[in-house]
Amino acid sequence: MRNTLAIAGKEIRIYFTTATSYVVLGSFALIIAFFFQALIGDFQRTIAQTLQMDASWLEQLNLTDYVMYPLIMNIGVILIFFTPIITMRLLADEKRGKTLELLMTAPVRPVEIVLGKYLGGLAMMLAMLGVTLLFPLVVQLLGASETGSPLDWRSVGVGYFGAALLGAAFVAIGLFTSSLTDNPVIAALLGFLILLMFYIAGSGAAGSESIWKSLLEFLSLSSNLTSFARGVLRTPSLVYYLSISVFALFLTYRVVEAQRWR
Amino acid sequence: MIKTVGLTKTYGDLDAIRDVSFEVEKGKIVGFLGPNGAGKSTTMKILTGFLPATRGTATVAGFDVFDDPMEVKRRVGYLPETPPVYPDLTVHEYLRFVGKLKGLRGDKLKSDIERVVNKLALADVVDRLIRNISKGYQQRTGFAQALLGNPDVLILDEPTVGMDPRQIGEVRGIIKELAGDHTVLLSTHILSEVVATCERVVIINKGKIIADDSLDALANKHGGGRDQLEKIFLNLTEA
Repeated sequence: MRNTLAIAGKEIRIYFTTATSYVVLGSFALIIAFFFQALIGDFQRTIAQTLQMDASWLEQLNLTDYVMYPLIMNIGVILIFFTPIITMRLLADEKRGKTLELLMTAPVRPVEIVLGKYLGGLAMMLAMLGVTLLFPLVVQLLGASETGSPLDWRSVGVGYFGAALLGAAFVAIGLFTSSLTDNPVIAALLGFLILLMFYIAGSGAAGSESIWKSLLEFLSLSSNLTSFARGVLRTPSLVYYLSISVFALFLTYRVVEAQRWR
Repeated sequence: MIKTVGLTKTYGDLDAIRDVSFEVEKGKIVGFLGPNGAGKSTTMKILTGFLPATRGTATVAGFDVFDDPMEVKRRVGYLPETPPVYPDLTVHEYLRFVGKLKGLRGDKLKSDIERVVNKLALADVVDRLIRNISKGYQQRTGFAQALLGNPDVLILDEPTVGMDPRQIGEVRGIIKELAGDHTVLLSTHILSEVVATCERVVIINKGKIIADDSLDALANKHGGGRDQLEKIFLNLTEA
């Protein structure tokens, strides 16, 4: 456990002493800001249209459903592009820099190496999600009125919890692809490919019928985010994300451990 | 302390090493000499548990490197041929990290880092990023890492590569000091390195051991003094 934390600590230190992490955090926040701004614009237009038609419908409109729900879904999609960038060097760089030799000849078990790397990547993921909390905070501060909080924070909280679970699964997949090669760029592309396939499974579901539809929806990393983003904690989705994470970590462990047999 | 029996490593059809058997007694420094590509690094990677052998066994301090890797790793300090350093950490951060991996904590970690920093004269660069220090300093940082935790056995793969003559002299001095308390296997392709630091030498060529003797005995056997060693080495490895 202490070895795991030592490795995670080293990863976090490297993330934040190099410029890459700040570029990643900055550009991620920028892209999400762009979506946020567009969603706020949409929301205003929807209000204007509703006022022209039937003002009694206004009660149905709220920032939680019309801004935060799509925003969290968008975060889930944008993470497909960003996660491989933060996970690509986790193991590939150790191989390229010949430092894997240090880790593998130190009194540290392979499982501690994998978990340490995973925790490091997860910390970076949480930092990225943390930055986007700025947007609901802006809504809270600027949208407050006598009628109470503009956001249903319980719902937003569940949404972010779901996004963190999705992020955890993404990081595990990214870590796995990073274990396969000593080239971070190849690791990133592979990770991106796998995440994209999971995403396509979800959009394929929308167009297909019956049994395929439920199967594809079940497999889609993004579809499982929907209920969370709506503020509903669904156990199957929770189990799904955790299973994907554990499975990808297990594969990573096998790859690292295989070093001993080659 | 270190013992290999019939160690063989094959990559496909290629034998990296073949039937390598030798022994290093406790407290001795043994030179592991051979031209580039002779199989020195492969042997060392097997001894440290980084690579598995295709055949044969290797034991360190009585523990089999394949069956009891953790026990071996606890007792071995290893400097690979490329110093295993992280360019984005400072020397101090790096040594702290490795010290933690070796189970050092708190005051013990602090004092041990201080010890190796002084020993390898790293005090001037301790707060600099490793990417910004010279190759010689990087090599010394790698060496310092191997000494952390004061392991009984040191496996050093070309420890003076990339150093200037003064640094080479210093590092050889440090290696000599290790004798007695530590068992050292030192690989190099430079004969003078062995002459300066070791009493015994194991010579490997094309994956096979071709000589295993004290330097004096080796010189006598091939009819000459110590000054003839260079010639003997070249003759042996020519075949």
